[in-house]
Amino acid sequence: MLGLEDLVLYAIDYARELGASYAEARYHKNDNFSIVSRNGTIIGAGRELKEGIGIRVLVDGALGFSATNKLDNENVKEAVEKAYKLAKAHARLMKRSIEFDNTRVGRAKYSVVERKLFTSMSLDEKISIHRELWDIVSKAPSGSKIPVFFLNYVESIEEKIVANSDGAFIMSRVPRLTIFYNVVVASPQRGSIQRFEQLGASGGLENLEEWNLYETLDRDVKIYEEILYEAKEPPRQEVDVIVGSEVVGLIVHESCGHPSEADRILGREAAQAGMSFIKQDMIGERIGNENATVIDDPTIPGSYGFYLYDDEGVPARPRYLYREGIIYEHLHNRWTAKIYGTESNAASRAMDYASEPIIRMANTYFKPGDYSFEELLEDIKYGVYIKSYMEWNIDDVRWSQRYVGLEAYLIENGELKGFVRNPVLEVTTKAFYSKVDAVGKELRFYAGTCGKGEPAQGVPVWFGGPDLRLRNIRLGVAPK
Amino acid sequence: MKDELLEASRKLVEKALSEGYDEAAALLNQRKTVMVKLANSEPSVVQRWKDLILNLYLAKDKKILVISLSPKSLKDVEKAIKELLSVADKLYESPFYAPLPEPGEPTKLDLVDKKLLEKLEDPSDIVESIIETAHRERIDYVAGMIELSYNEKALATSKDALFYEDSTSIQTYLRAFAGEDGSGQWSLGSRKLNMRKIEETASIAARYAVDSRNRVSIEPGVYDIILSPMVAGNLLRLVGMMASAFMMFMGMSMFMNKKPGDKIGSEKLTLIDDALNTELPGSTGFDDEGVATYSKPIIEEGVFKTILHNSKTAAKTGMKSTGNAGWITPHPWNLVVAEGTYSLDELIGEVKKGILVTNNWYTRLQNYVEGVFSTITRDALFLIEDGKITNPIEKLRIADTLPRLLSNIDALGKTSYDIWWWEVEIPTRTPYILIRQIHTSKHTV
Repeated sequence: MLGLEDLVLYAIDYARELGASYAEARYHKNDNFSIVSRNGTIIGAGRELKEGIGIRVLVDGALGFSATNKLDNENVKEAVEKAYKLAKAHARLMKRSIEFDNTRVGRAKYSVVERKLFTSMSLDEKISIHRELWDIVSKAPSGSKIPVFFLNYVESIEEKIVANSDGAFIMSRVPRLTIFYNVVVASPQRGSIQRFEQLGASGGLENLEEWNLYETLDRDVKIYEEILYEAKEPPRQEVDVIVGSEVVGLIVHESCGHPSEADRILGREAAQAGMSFIKQDMIGERIGNENATVIDDPTIPGSYGFYLYDDEGVPARPRYLYREGIIYEHLHNRWTAKIYGTESNAASRAMDYASEPIIRMANTYFKPGDYSFEELLEDIKYGVYIKSYMEWNIDDVRWSQRYVGLEAYLIENGELKGFVRNPVLEVTTKAFYSKVDAVGKELRFYAGTCGKGEPAQGVPVWFGGPDLRLRNIRLGVAPK
Repeated sequence: MKDELLEASRKLVEKALSEGYDEAAALLNQRKTVMVKLANSEPSVVQRWKDLILNLYLAKDKKILVISLSPKSLKDVEKAIKELLSVADKLYESPFYAPLPEPGEPTKLDLVDKKLLEKLEDPSDIVESIIETAHRERIDYVAGMIELSYNEKALATSKDALFYEDSTSIQTYLRAFAGEDGSGQWSLGSRKLNMRKIEETASIAARYAVDSRNRVSIEPGVYDIILSPMVAGNLLRLVGMMASAFMMFMGMSMFMNKKPGDKIGSEKLTLIDDALNTELPGSTGFDDEGVATYSKPIIEEGVFKTILHNSKTAAKTGMKSTGNAGWITPHPWNLVVAEGTYSLDELIGEVKKGILVTNNWYTRLQNYVEGVFSTITRDALFLIEDGKITNPIEKLRIADTLPRLLSNIDALGKTSYDIWWWEVEIPTRTPYILIRQIHTSKHTV
């Protein structure tokens, strides 16, 4: 039986032998270990191991993909044959042949090194994190109760061997740590308030120290209780709004990153996540003012969406999606790059062996400016500061979007004055990027699992930015 | 593969017990699936999978471990079982622990369509037919997907359950585009290959695309809303999942503070978890614990009837399993909404000022316990005035609460559609539903 590297190369050689004009094989292993608790008590532990090979071929202008987790010559051979035959059978339905561009691909091996290995902490200690956090969360409120504090702790390691018939050969290993939690603060008289959060980064347990959940959860839960008791309706007239970095991160992901995906612009996701307000000829058009620069960069050390080569073997680099208010560059794979007459900028990623590589964001952020938070605040006479959110959505061309604030404050004469309950920021993409009047200097990142594709693929991403100030916004109110 | 899968599942349970676990269940899922994704009226990729996923439930001293593996060999599984034993030793008793149940007597369901199996090797003529059908209307292009699947599952438990079931399924959805702003989307989920229904899916999407050209803008506000089966499926999926006892424990349910017998919606609403419906692709005779499934109302004439349980959530609340395991999370198998008596035209005729919403996506909640949500419409959307459709309109959000949505249901169509797609993950059979006085919103700038 062949080793994994040889099996990957065998798949490519065999596909070429059959007549594929392009062949790619990816050994992909996702190994996750998780501990789940409710109110400090461990419900259970889980292990998820996905390991297999995904193969892509171009045959007579049609694209075939096949995956198997039976890693022997016979099954890989069958997978190659099926990808080849299915692509060939559908080639007669193609109106325009699928071709890849000639972007230079790499041969490299890299790995993210954990500063603190997952094995450096005992299982007992990992379990006690759940209990200690529950202890803090349950004691934080003074009058209300915490009916639910759900916590999921996940260690994961992703390993890949990506090779293709254009000479790419990339081996990589990326460990990640993720924590999800859901907390409900409830009072019989005042109803409830709920917060989900996901924390994630590449690397090891050093991230736990960085996140400092013991302090932040204590503070946050106390604030949620105050919101429950004290928050007022948001103002109805036009006001200035400070959009907190957490919300800014989500906004740039939704209204810059997604509409800049070239496959979406070309209609490949039209029946799923939709298309884009950006059309094929819109590079260079204005989408906002000179304050609006959004970058997607897979190479940020420690980031959740970290990679150095994409799953087509193309070296990664920062991409300036909007630059000083101009639609500047899209996210490309080798197929869209060919159509656009450009080169791939390494946006092609697959979730696991069973998934085809498609265009994805990595770490998307609004470029910081030079305002401190106090400076953003100081000349607002009347306004709202939205620090965090729960509900959001955006239309399928990424134009009309809605974010409902969770932790939000009224601003009067440059000072925070109490809480505002569920303010709704509902804006178009152009309005948002055009109304940014001042940009904070502190860049923060937030973790998410971005969904796209069919079957749907969830991949780790960071999104972030500084706090921003918008002028003259009419906020809505969430229904009761 | 029946015998091999049963034997492998039995051996895994045996292995786990011999390693020192008190209880074990092994659920093996093998699939052969082909999917053709369409964009711009041509295939964008043809995908095919053949894989085996092994799921293991292990318990030791009332501690629970769950493993999901797509291993390259059985040796890897045995290694994982061994490794996790040391984890089990360190864990604490799970508050959800209950012994695995005695196996039931599952209903034997005929879930395989031979015609569908034949098309697994090459579905290109179905794809061609879909594209051609959609283009019978004056559309510009169509996108979507069709997936055909043959699935086998084998379950063994340390309570001597040893069950096998195989099934076929088809999922398709099409989104057609016409002119500057016209688009329509529809879907189908079934156990059987039925070309008439597949072509109907393409036709409805194309018809809505053509009819929704030249949209006008309207102000958001409070409207009577007719939800198409696509939209009803998306929102009722949330309601169905919220009926899971685990979701209630986790603070992810509007039923958290409710109990069976409470009135939670209009008496016109009956929502059934229809596990044994052999036409819908979620159907199965046994759940992941080997309990026989059955069909049951979640909501009956507006009254909350059934909390969905596995044996663990049932034991925790002094109830019986409803045959909805998930080892950790109980879930509905298929959702079916009881039909009303109205044609779509009659439903529209009941509306003085309202909106027909044919599709939506991106439903998110501000608060699960209170059911505060919004969702953004997409594709065809029509203004209804004085009982008639007057104009296609631009996108709006439905921004309201699930309790109000359920309470304000006023009439249901008499024709149901079998919906299953990206935004309706639980196969759902539902008619069009008229809901009174629902809040909408849109961007303010």
